[in-house]
Amino acid sequence: MLTIGKLAAQTNTSANTLRFYERQGLVCPTSKGENGYRLYAEDAVKRVHFIRHAQQSGFTLAEIQELLTLQDSASACCSDVRKRAIDKKLMLEAKIKLLKAMSAELDALILNCAHEDHPVDQCPILDALSRAPQSELRS
Amino acid sequence: MKVEFFYAEGCDNCAAARRELKQAVAAAFRLDADWHELEVVKHLDYAVELGVLSTPAVAIDGVLVFAKLPTVAQLDAELQRRAPPGHGR
Repeated sequence: MLTIGKLAAQTNTSANTLRFYERQGLVCPTSKGENGYRLYAEDAVKRVHFIRHAQQSGFTLAEIQELLTLQDSASACCSDVRKRAIDKKLMLEAKIKLLKAMSAELDALILNCAHEDHPVDQCPILDALSRAPQSELRS
Repeated sequence: MKVEFFYAEGCDNCAAARRELKQAVAAAFRLDADWHELEVVKHLDYAVELGVLSTPAVAIDGVLVFAKLPTVAQLDAELQRRAPPGHGR
């Protein structure tokens, strides 16, 4: 059995993170010792690694909970997990597309501001930001 | 009308729905509806361009109309609405 400190050390996390995972129902201690300390089974290490890796891949904690449930479900198959990974990929790509559009908008604003010594009330960036977008004016 | 059905390979739900919708569209619209099936991973950029966030999804004439799986009745109604007078069922 592992104490929370040992589990944190083996998974490169903190005890606070593990307590947070417990509150979210992701990793729960198997038992509590006589002193009230949390005790985890050895396979909790694998579970915490899974959670951290999934977080790095963009999955939310709620989605990770679903993945863990699938992992524990005898009737689930690989395509169920793949479907979730594809949906996550689509969402990330949509966000990337939006971020690229925002970056391009900033490029245009930066190009407009060629005179860095203008007073702030003549700043073309602030001026452009204060105007409603064309799409909103049309609607 | 161009109907594009986005699906994920290996998804049983997608495969069953795809067959059912394709048959329904073919029966109701024959040559008026041009049915295409796009595996979402192979056409990821296009799917993202249309705003597909989940599969199955259906686009009509290059516009995402059903972000989630429509019923046969929903898709049929949408195509009827868009069909030129005298076409479709």
